[in-house]
Amino acid sequence: MTSKVYSDDVSLAVVVVDTNPFFWASAALPFADFFAHLIHYVNSLLLLNHLNHVVVIATGVSSCTYIFDSSDASASGSADVAATFAKASRKIEEFIAQDARCTASNGSVADSNSASLLSGALSLALCYIQRVFRSGTRHPQPRILCLQGSPDGPEQYVAVMNSIFSAQRSMVPIDSCIVGAQDSAFLQQASYITSGVYLKPQELSGLFQYLAAVFATDLHSRTFLRLPKTLGVDFRASCFCHKKTIDMGYVCSVCLSIFCKYHKKCSTCGSEFNRVMPDLNSMPDQRQ
Amino acid sequence: MPQVMVVARNFMDMVAALPASKLDMLYDSAFICEAVLRSLPPLAKKYALQMLYVSAPVVASAMEEWVLSDYATKHRVAIDKLLQLRVFVEVRDRRKEVSYKMNQKFQGNMQKYLVDGGSLPREPMPSSVTARLPTLTELEAYALEQWECFLLQLINSSQIEGGSSFSLSMMRTFQRGLLSSRDGEAPRLTENGFQFLLMETNAQLWYIMREYISSAEERGVDPTELISFLLELSFHTLGEAYSLNTLTDVQRIAIRDLAELGLVKLQQGRKDSWFIPTKLATNLSASLSDSSSSKEGFVVVETNFRMYAYSTSRLHCEILRLFSRIEYQLPNLIVGAITKESIYGAFENGITAEQVSLAL
Repeated sequence: MTSKVYSDDVSLAVVVVDTNPFFWASAALPFADFFAHLIHYVNSLLLLNHLNHVVVIATGVSSCTYIFDSSDASASGSADVAATFAKASRKIEEFIAQDARCTASNGSVADSNSASLLSGALSLALCYIQRVFRSGTRHPQPRILCLQGSPDGPEQYVAVMNSIFSAQRSMVPIDSCIVGAQDSAFLQQASYITSGVYLKPQELSGLFQYLAAVFATDLHSRTFLRLPKTLGVDFRASCFCHKKTIDMGYVCSVCLSIFCKYHKKCSTCGSEFNRVMPDLNSMPDQRQ
Repeated sequence: MPQVMVVARNFMDMVAALPASKLDMLYDSAFICEAVLRSLPPLAKKYALQMLYVSAPVVASAMEEWVLSDYATKHRVAIDKLLQLRVFVEVRDRRKEVSYKMNQKFQGNMQKYLVDGGSLPREPMPSSVTARLPTLTELEAYALEQWECFLLQLINSSQIEGGSSFSLSMMRTFQRGLLSSRDGEAPRLTENGFQFLLMETNAQLWYIMREYISSAEERGVDPTELISFLLELSFHTLGEAYSLNTLTDVQRIAIRDLAELGLVKLQQGRKDSWFIPTKLATNLSASLSDSSSSKEGFVVVETNFRMYAYSTSRLHCEILRLFSRIEYQLPNLIVGAITKESIYGAFENGITAEQVSLAL
């Protein structure tokens, strides 16, 4: 018998935090302030219900990791929250340093435009949620909040979309709060598909108010509330061959892979296109 | 059926019923603010959070914009609850427009919480002093045993051996409403009392706590202080030891009573003594019933109205005895029969058929 042991608003919130140093170096909001807002937010979630569970995941340029888990904090018996958060901030510093080393050793070009590993973080978050689902009989309502600043990385397109669809399947809404200058097409799509909230705050100094007013809302109350609506969603896809974001391109008729120029053979499924293609303008196969 | 349900669900209703000045006094303690906030309906919680850093009053009509128009009733319920608990305070300006602002003490305490995180009411004692603490399972077993013993005593005060520290008058207070005693007869369980026995442990606990608090005044104890202590108690860490020396006199008297109920376990060390909160205590402020701690048991009722109950609990036996004839009792099995006489007996006590079938 699965009786309803939880009240409506018990939530499992996974917060994905962008720690991309290239972004924060030039951000309008200093990282320290941002982190303070974040801790306020996490605290307020824990305040709302003693069964609420919050996990924070940091995403760097080439790696991501868990930096805070409220169930650890309470299980270890040290209810000294200040110490727990000091530990979290130490962990985040270590992570940033390690991530920088990682990036350097990868030898990838790390310029100011480099993206954070959103796909990895989303996968971690979903894995965590699945683990919670499978571990017990009682399910808190899960959701993911992405706090992103750095621009999208088109090369992660396939991985991000796969994460989004698996979130959709397991009914996990992905909320996104953009702290950077430009909108993120990935997160717009993520929130749209999973019916989460996408928001780009106007006034970053009041970030906590946005977080408290919009993103602290539990899933149950969301049905009643007037939450910010997304105005437009950038549905553009990235091509599979050069990882460029494109408006128009070729789509494999068998597996729906997207290419920016004509190929004789699909690189994903191996189907051969033996029909001679006219030029792009006369035969455009346009994605939505 | 007369509407005399034993309303025990909500502790906060009791808090809300306190006069405004007392309530404001309660909000001096951050724990109470926390407990109150957690007890609110989800929407109200969200409003409180949203208003946390807003110091100016917000016009009521602007707040109504927050919800979709179909759900205006939900909004009203949330706002009413907030006003009732004085988390929000109504302000009227010159043009008679209603606006709400947050209770300043409450706001201050909550803001502090967000910055520092929750702290503990008192430090646990170092393990060097408290030689061996009971494990969590031991503690839970202890709590349940204590509670069951208390219930048994409640319904059947004559049968229990081993005295308790509860004075007779106190027991009377608890029994009020649950038992009815006609002149010259042994007290009988009323309909309410029967319902009470069928409730979950947490709900029962609430009922008793409410009686305990409302009778506080008769004993010359300030109910406000008692409420705040009870709420504070629920924020202690389960299974840790806390020194009795940190308590005030009122609290020290209260903790003895609570130990009797199984909310805390008292232990005596070489020099000082301490108390260990059990699961019953830590679940106190959570108004939800996530401790389905009632013991497992099976009842088989045959079509010939013979009844077999697999239970070792004497309490179960007592409950069954209320409407059936117990034939024999084995260590883990109670065998009885539901007969015409036993059912009539139950009806005479005001127990209805529905309640009986619910119990089975």
